[in-house]
Amino acid sequence: MQDHSRWRLLLWLDQAISMLEALIVGLSVTVMAINTIANVFGRYVFSQSLYFSEEVNEIAMVTITFIGLGYVTRKGLHIRMSALYDMVPDAPRRLLMALIALLSAAAMFLLAWYAWEYVDKVAGRGRITPAMQLPLWITYVAVVIGFFLAGVQYVATVIVNLTRSDEVWISHCHTDGYEDPELATMMELQKLDGPPANTRPANAGKE
Amino acid sequence: MTLMMISVMFLLLLAGFPMMMPLLTATILAFLLYFPSLSVQQVVQQMIGGVKPSALVAVPMFILAADIITRGHSADRLVDLVMRFMGHIRGGLAISTTSACALFGAVCGSTQATVVAVGGALRPRMLKAGYRDDFTIGLIVNAADLAYLIPPSIGMIVYGVLSGTSIAELFIAGIGPGLLVVVLFSAWCWFVAWREDIPVEPRAGWGERFTAMRRALWPLGFPVVVIGGIYGGIFTPTEAAAICVLYAAILELLIFRSISMKDLWDIVLSTGVMTSVIFILIATGAAFSWTISFAQVPQTILAAVGLADASPLKVLVIINIAFFLGCMFVDSIVVMLILVPIFAPVIANTGLDPVLVGVLVTLQIAIGAATPPFGCNLFTAIAVFKRPFIEVVRGVPPFLIMLLLVAALLVAFPWIALGLRDLAFR
Repeated sequence: MQDHSRWRLLLWLDQAISMLEALIVGLSVTVMAINTIANVFGRYVFSQSLYFSEEVNEIAMVTITFIGLGYVTRKGLHIRMSALYDMVPDAPRRLLMALIALLSAAAMFLLAWYAWEYVDKVAGRGRITPAMQLPLWITYVAVVIGFFLAGVQYVATVIVNLTRSDEVWISHCHTDGYEDPELATMMELQKLDGPPANTRPANAGKE
Repeated sequence: MTLMMISVMFLLLLAGFPMMMPLLTATILAFLLYFPSLSVQQVVQQMIGGVKPSALVAVPMFILAADIITRGHSADRLVDLVMRFMGHIRGGLAISTTSACALFGAVCGSTQATVVAVGGALRPRMLKAGYRDDFTIGLIVNAADLAYLIPPSIGMIVYGVLSGTSIAELFIAGIGPGLLVVVLFSAWCWFVAWREDIPVEPRAGWGERFTAMRRALWPLGFPVVVIGGIYGGIFTPTEAAAICVLYAAILELLIFRSISMKDLWDIVLSTGVMTSVIFILIATGAAFSWTISFAQVPQTILAAVGLADASPLKVLVIINIAFFLGCMFVDSIVVMLILVPIFAPVIANTGLDPVLVGVLVTLQIAIGAATPPFGCNLFTAIAVFKRPFIEVVRGVPPFLIMLLLVAALLVAFPWIALGLRDLAFR
């Protein structure tokens, strides 16, 4: 949503990553569903469980959680307790949000670093998964990527809040409004015209 | 260290940090300051381990099934069925609302979806029949709690994974208290309708009833799969969840044709996003829980508040109060992530049945969803019914009292929850 042309390449890259994350998360859910259903049929109809079923689900859950972390951060969908935060006036609130994002970015990068070390250690030991005989470290790469991308998103949030003075930005492309992910989805599914996700008009709270 | 962790968590929570940050920061600081010999790698390792339990697969599967069903017309069909059978009783419309919430709760595990689907359909009819709006909204947001108590229930899955309790047993044990809530609410509805002299609806003929039954037959397959399958020991909760997804997809894609393949992809993606939001908290909670157990923090806290060797009754009461207060202010999953590991040692010590504790915790979480100031059902109602906060909250107290009464009854008579469980599993 930012229109500085020097950011264009970065924004394009961000869009691409966002679409890739969505694709990976959606596919992981699909794989998990098909795999679990197939396993039930295997167990009851052919009385034989799929030997790789549990492992596929473990990998899918780790992938959804950590690749989703970057996506959720970009969309500003993390659950927060915003009661006191909401009482702060706009200008200091922007600083508070910048501080929140800065500390969150620090935590994400720290964990990305240690996740990297952990993956390196696991790879060094040459452990493989029991059923599919994959190198174990491959299944953990998503953790490093997820923490890193979430950290990048929080840095972008810090920059946007410090450089722009029109709104409070919960992520670099979404402004801050009361937002509950489950509710937003539900309203969307029911085609109700409640407050749409993240598109609260700039002045809604000030009237 | 305990003091540091508590103050960091409170500070970050109140400042409006994303919920994972208070837990993460407290955990990382504990590692850096107090366990210099351990690497923060341990945090990462625990986080990965936290989202690996295969029981957690049920969470995205039930969310996916519920997302698919919510888009279709299953709620209308269930409402219609209940109305045809109970509409003619005094307070019939209100009683039908309660029962429809319970039925829909047996189809999907989300209280907010229930507010939207059942409340959206029945509130206009209740208003037209002459019920006051505060009573109507109060009934809807509180009866929607039944979605949490009656299986499938996301809250129970998370509790089961966190505490190592059988999710199948939790599901079955939730049915008794759920029905008790239906009975109490219905009695209250009858009383209100009698006091305010709400006219009675005409009795439906058997022909209409039969049509309604046939129309609701497909959606009623869900409770058969979930409750029947788990009660009969045919499915594990995860397997039941997978079958629900398949069933919902066939129902809405092929039979009712209410969604397209494109819709399905959107639903899958939103399920993935919602799952990620929940799982990152569970991952963080696992690291947090490992850290405080490693440092014996729960024992310190329990000893400090004099609970270390309290009687089972006292422990139960304290657990109820702690979860009730916690859920009033903070998201229920976060409350579970923090409180479950803290209470774990004392629950083990007193020999309380973890399933009973789980049902009580779920009940308190459900109550918290409709209790001011921060119940998520309340905010859903504000958004869906477009009423201000104060009007939404006004009708809550009588229902809150009844729900707390159910909690008290459960503490006094555990068989309300455990009877059915014992019948199925013992």
